[in-house]
Amino acid sequence: MDEISLVAEPRNDKGSPATRRLRVTGRVPGVLYGHGVKPIPVSVDERALHGALSTGAGANALIDLTVGKTHHLALARELQRHPVRQTVAHVDFIVVRRDEIVAAEVPVTLLGEAVAVSRAGGTVEQLLLSVDVHAKPADIPRSFEVDISDLDIGDSIRLSSVVIPPGVTLDLDPESPVVVGHAARVEVVEEPVEEEGAPAPAEPGAEAPTDEAAGS
Amino acid sequence: MLMPKKVKHRKQHRGRRTGLAKGAYTIDFGDYGIKALEAGWITARQIEAARIAMTRHVRRGGKVWIRVFPDKPVTQKPAETRMGSGKGNPEHWVAVVRPGKIMFEIAGVDEQLAREAMERAIQKLPIKAEVVIRPGVLAEAGGAAK
Repeated sequence: MDEISLVAEPRNDKGSPATRRLRVTGRVPGVLYGHGVKPIPVSVDERALHGALSTGAGANALIDLTVGKTHHLALARELQRHPVRQTVAHVDFIVVRRDEIVAAEVPVTLLGEAVAVSRAGGTVEQLLLSVDVHAKPADIPRSFEVDISDLDIGDSIRLSSVVIPPGVTLDLDPESPVVVGHAARVEVVEEPVEEEGAPAPAEPGAEAPTDEAAGS
Repeated sequence: MLMPKKVKHRKQHRGRRTGLAKGAYTIDFGDYGIKALEAGWITARQIEAARIAMTRHVRRGGKVWIRVFPDKPVTQKPAETRMGSGKGNPEHWVAVVRPGKIMFEIAGVDEQLAREAMERAIQKLPIKAEVVIRPGVLAEAGGAAK
């Protein structure tokens, strides 16, 4: 896996107002820590960070982070995003070593089209969107590809049938289903039944909840 | 319609609607979602209307997740009643939604159908909302980004 160079500047002003001012200038506040490195508050350029995390490796991209005159090999973790805009509000950089096994989350992508399921009007449900793995930083796969061409209704593809590259171990049970083919679900439109003398629907306050105090 | 089975207290204060969603602002189950862009109260009837609008448009297939639950009782005093004499009676249930909340998710349908269904569902809601896509979906479909 290629390393992506990213330049970070140490930041002295800490706290919400300072980081808010920082974000306005197009920088993302973050912190660098791990392997005995004293936590260093840093900031990185928003566009550069977006570019670093938009490669094929996604959020598991190996980053060569330059802080001042020192270089750190790091992984971006704990990306905090703005709830509406989805921009990165804060990022953690974890210092890693090349020969050390780290935990990572690898996305699962589906390949092909489940012809048998779509012909019968069924749906393909992906139960696992990502898988937690342990591997050396350079061995972390970009994604796990699952071919669903042969999937039929009632079938499931389990994690054990996914090709795992050497040097990668999984946290999950190998029998965990990744994709399931479901039969068609049809929305049944209920005809309103009119009954004379039927009691009016009860008020919401009366139908469900009873105050514990009232009951006691 | 959705409502709690039992609650500790029958009546609640109205509360404040400031701030952004604290959680549930990413698509965690399906491929497409409806994201709130405003704060508001969504009644159980509106949630049900949105669900019906979505599932009837999709017709066959697809799976819908409802990620909001109306657990807040709203009270109303009867018409032409003088003020006083305590708080009104619980009339309906609402879910408090703040900007960023993913209210509905859908999977198992193509993008165009999902967008059409969700646009219809948004029409049933009292707040501004938009259709969002899970990041990995476009890569799988090889489609263009929104």
